Amino acid sequence: MADPRLFRLRVSFVKQGRLTLLSHLELARTLERIVRRAGVPFAVTNGFSPHMRIAFGSALPVGVGGREELFDLFLTNYIAPAKILPLLQGASPLDLMPFACEYVEPQAPAVSVAFPLSTYEAVLEGGLTSLVIPEVVQVKRGKKEKVLMVAEYLRGDVEARSAEDVEETSGTATPQTILRFCLEAKPSGTLRPDKFVEAIMASTISAGGASSELRSMALTRLNQRAL
Amino acid sequence: MNSQSHWTQLAPLLRDVERPSRYINHEWGASLKPGADFSFCMVYPDTYEIGQANQAVRILTNAVNAVPGLRAERAFLPAVDMIDQLRERKLPFCSLESCTPLREFDVLGITMPHELAATNILEVLDLAGLALHAKDRSEEDPIVVGGGPCAYNPEPYWPFFDLFSIGEGEELTPELVLRIKELRGEGASRRQILRELSHIPGVYVPSLYKPVDEMTAQVSGSWLEPLEEDVPRRIKKRVFNGFSASSAWEPCVVPYTEVVHDRLNVEILRGCARGCRFCQAGMMYRPIRERSADNIVEGVLEGLRATGYDEVSLTSLSSTDHSQIAEILTRLNSALEGTGIRVSIPSQRLDSFGVEMAELVAGQKKGGLTFAPEAGTQRLRDIINKNVTEENLFSAIDAAFSAGWRRCKLYFMVGLPEETDEDLKGIASLTQRAFDRARSVVPPEQRNKVQMSISCAVFVPKAQTPFQWDGQISPAEVQRKIDLVRRSIKYRGITVNWHDPKTSFVEAVMSRGGREVAPWVERAWRKGARFDAWTEYFNEEAWRNAAEELGLDIEDIAQRSFEPGYVMPWNHISTGVSTRYLVMERYRAEMGQTTPDCTFTACTACGACKSLDSQNDLAQGRVLPKGDTSLFVDDEEADS
Ligand code: SF4
Repeated sequence: MADPRLFRLRVSFVKQGRLTLLSHLELARTLERIVRRAGVPFAVTNGFSPHMRIAFGSALPVGVGGREELFDLFLTNYIAPAKILPLLQGASPLDLMPFACEYVEPQAPAVSVAFPLSTYEAVLEGGLTSLVIPEVVQVKRGKKEKVLMVAEYLRGDVEARSAEDVEETSGTATPQTILRFCLEAKPSGTLRPDKFVEAIMASTISAGGASSELRSMALTRLNQRAL
Repeated sequence: MNSQSHWTQLAPLLRDVERPSRYINHEWGASLKPGADFSFCMVYPDTYEIGQANQAVRILTNAVNAVPGLRAERAFLPAVDMIDQLRERKLPFCSLESCTPLREFDVLGITMPHELAATNILEVLDLAGLALHAKDRSEEDPIVVGGGPCAYNPEPYWPFFDLFSIGEGEELTPELVLRIKELRGEGASRRQILRELSHIPGVYVPSLYKPVDEMTAQVSGSWLEPLEEDVPRRIKKRVFNGFSASSAWEPCVVPYTEVVHDRLNVEILRGCARGCRFCQAGMMYRPIRERSADNIVEGVLEGLRATGYDEVSLTSLSSTDHSQIAEILTRLNSALEGTGIRVSIPSQRLDSFGVEMAELVAGQKKGGLTFAPEAGTQRLRDIINKNVTEENLFSAIDAAFSAGWRRCKLYFMVGLPEETDEDLKGIASLTQRAFDRARSVVPPEQRNKVQMSISCAVFVPKAQTPFQWDGQISPAEVQRKIDLVRRSIKYRGITVNWHDPKTSFVEAVMSRGGREVAPWVERAWRKGARFDAWTEYFNEEAWRNAAEELGLDIEDIAQRSFEPGYVMPWNHISTGVSTRYLVMERYRAEMGQTTPDCTFTACTACGACKSLDSQNDLAQGRVLPKGDTSLFVDDEEADS
C-alpha cells in the first residue's frame, strides 16, 4: 500500500451528538464525501473501479461517540496541514468536525490497528452504592453466543465517580454515574464498549449496587493510544 | 411543546430501532429556513431509504423554500419498528428539519408514487394524528394535498385528501401554499379555502363534485359533476415550461444512510414520446423538454462539488434520447477523469448506439445489462408500439457481449392486450436465440460465463394510456402464462423471474377503480395492510377480506374490458393527451400499426401541446442513430 509518491495525512475529528448514531459504514461513506466536497487532491486507486485512497480508524458501535477519531487520507500533492484543515472543516457537519491533521510516514501501521488501547467514558443515569465488574461478557453474534473474558480486554480499573445532571429550566438534579475504562483491541477480537457497559450495569443491579432504573445515557471514546 | 422537546422524546427510541440514521436529520444540504412562519411538509409515504432520493421531494421542498415567508420540510414514513414504538408511547410523527409534529404544519403534501403506496398514505395520516377523511378535519388541521403519478386517477384516494395537485409541481405547489397562506390570513374557513383553490389551474378538490350514474357519465363525459358553477368540470395537468432553462443543479440533501438512488441525480430531460401504449409516464410528461448540454455539464460539476457524491446519474425516462447525449457524456468523462466519479444513465436504448453509450458511461466496468423488449414477437411489439425488432436486440447483444459484458437481463410483460400463447412461446424463443448469439460472440473459454435471465412483469392497465380500457388477466391466468414461458425455455443457463400476480392485481384495482375503491383501501388498511410494496409485508388476506365485507367486485374492476372511448372514472383529469388520441392509439394497436416518436419525426397529434399551450423544447434537433429502435437498456442501477 505504501506509495512513496503520495502524502499520507492523518485527520482527527469528533463523532458526537446525533451523528453517534451512524454505523461505521455510514461514517466511512460520509467521510469520503467530506473529502470530495473539501476539494483536496486525494489519490485514487488504479483498477477497474477507481476509488478514493482513504483508510478509516477502528470502528465504533452505533450510538458510541468519539472525541478523537481518525482517518488517513492519501494525497497526490503536499498541502500544509494548516491550509487543509479549514477546507475539511468547511465540508463537514458540526457533529463530525475535524480538529487537527498532520502528515504521517507512508509506512506507518494502518490507522485501524495502530491504536489498540481505547479509553471510554460512559454516563449512566442513576447513582451507585457499589460497582460490580463482571468476569465475562456474553455477546451474540448472529445466532452464536460468545463468552468473552473481561480480563483479556480490560486494561486497568473501571473508575466510577458520581455527578449530577441539572435540568436548565426546572433546576431539578438527577444523580449520574460516570464510568471510565480502557479496553484493548486484540487481533483475535474486541470487547464492544457498549456491551461491556451493559454487562457492568446488569451485574451491578443484580448485586444490589444500583436500582434497576439505572440507564446508560451516553458512551464516548475519549482517546485511542498505541500499546 | 417545542421541537427540542419532541426530539428529546424521540432520541431515546433511536437506540433500539433499526437504522437510526434515517431519523436524525442534520444531513449535508438539509436546512431549516429561518423566519418563515407558514409551513409546508413534503411527506413521502415510505421509509427514508425509499423516499429520500425522490425527485418530487427535492423539487418541491426547494420550490416552496424559495418563496419568502414559506418554509418547507421533509418527512418520511418511519419503518414498522419505529411506527410501533411511536404508537405505543403516543408520540407524534414529526418532520425531519424542525422535528415538528406533522399535524402542526399548515400544509402537508403527500406524494402518491405508485398504486401500492395507498395504505401507507393512510398510515401517514393516522400516525400524524389526522382524521383519515378530509371532511372530518378541523379548521386548525393542515390542508392535505396529494400529487404524483397516482393523482392521474385520484378517485380511489378521494376522501383522504383535501385536494390534489395534478401534473408538475414546480410552480403549482408554491402557488398553492402561498394562496392558502393568504386565505388563512384573511380568516377563511377550510371550505372557503378549498373552493378558492379549485380555481387554480391544476387543482382538483374532490369534495366539490358529486358522482353521477353510468348513463349520465357516458353522455356527459365525466363520472363527476361539479357542485358549484365556478368549479371546473375538467382539470388539466400543469406543465413546468421553464424546465429547460432552469438550472440542472438542484440543491439536494446528501443522506448518511444508504438509500435508493444514492448519488447525484441530475434530470437532463423530461418526458418521453416514444409512445409505448402501456406506459403512463409516456403520456403524463408531454411535451418533451431538454436541458442544454452546457446547463447539464455545469450543473453536474457544481452538484458534485456541493455534495461530494462519487456518482452522478443523468436521469429521465429515456436519457439516451437527449439530442446532445454524446456530447454531454464526452464532456463529463473528460472533466471527471482521475476523480473516480462514475457517470450513469438509468435508461439506454438497445442498439449499437445504446451499447456505445453504455461503454461511455460504464468505462471498464461491465456488470449486467438490462434490455426491455417487453414482448416476445414482432406482432405483439407492434401492438404495444415498442418499436424494436429482433435484429435490434441481436445486434445489441452482439455489441454488448463482444465489448465484454457477460450478463444480461431481459424484461417482458405478460397479459398484454391481444396477447396469445404464441407470443409467450416467443419470449422463450427470443431469449434462447439471444443466448445463442451472446455465446457465439464470446471467446470459447468464456462461454460458460454467459448468463441470461428474464423477468416477467404482469401487465397493469394504467389510467390515461391507450390500454386503459383493457382489463387485466386473472392471477390464475397469469400463473398459467408464466408456466408456459417457463416450460418453453429449454436452456438451463436462462433463469426466469416473475412478479407476484397478487400484488399486480391490487395495482390494477387501484389503477382503474373509481370512488367505490376508497372504502376498500381504508378497510384493508384497518385490517393491517401497509407497506404493500414490500414483499414481506404484502397482506393479501387483508385486501381480500376487505373486498368481501364490502361486497366490492374487485375482479370486475381489475379485469373488465371496455370499448375504447368508454368514459373511465378519471376522465375529468387530463394529461393534455386527448381521449380521441388514446382511442385512436387503441385501434392502431388492434391493427398492429405503430406510431412514431414526435421528437424524432413530426407531430402525431396527441393533443398535448395545443391543450397545454406548450411545445416540445429540445436542445437541438433529434436524429435517429443508424438502425435505431425504441428498445431500452437499463443499467443495473435502474432496476433497484
Ligand atoms: S402534440 Fe404533437 S408534438 Fe406535442 S407531444 Fe403530442 S405528438 Fe408530440
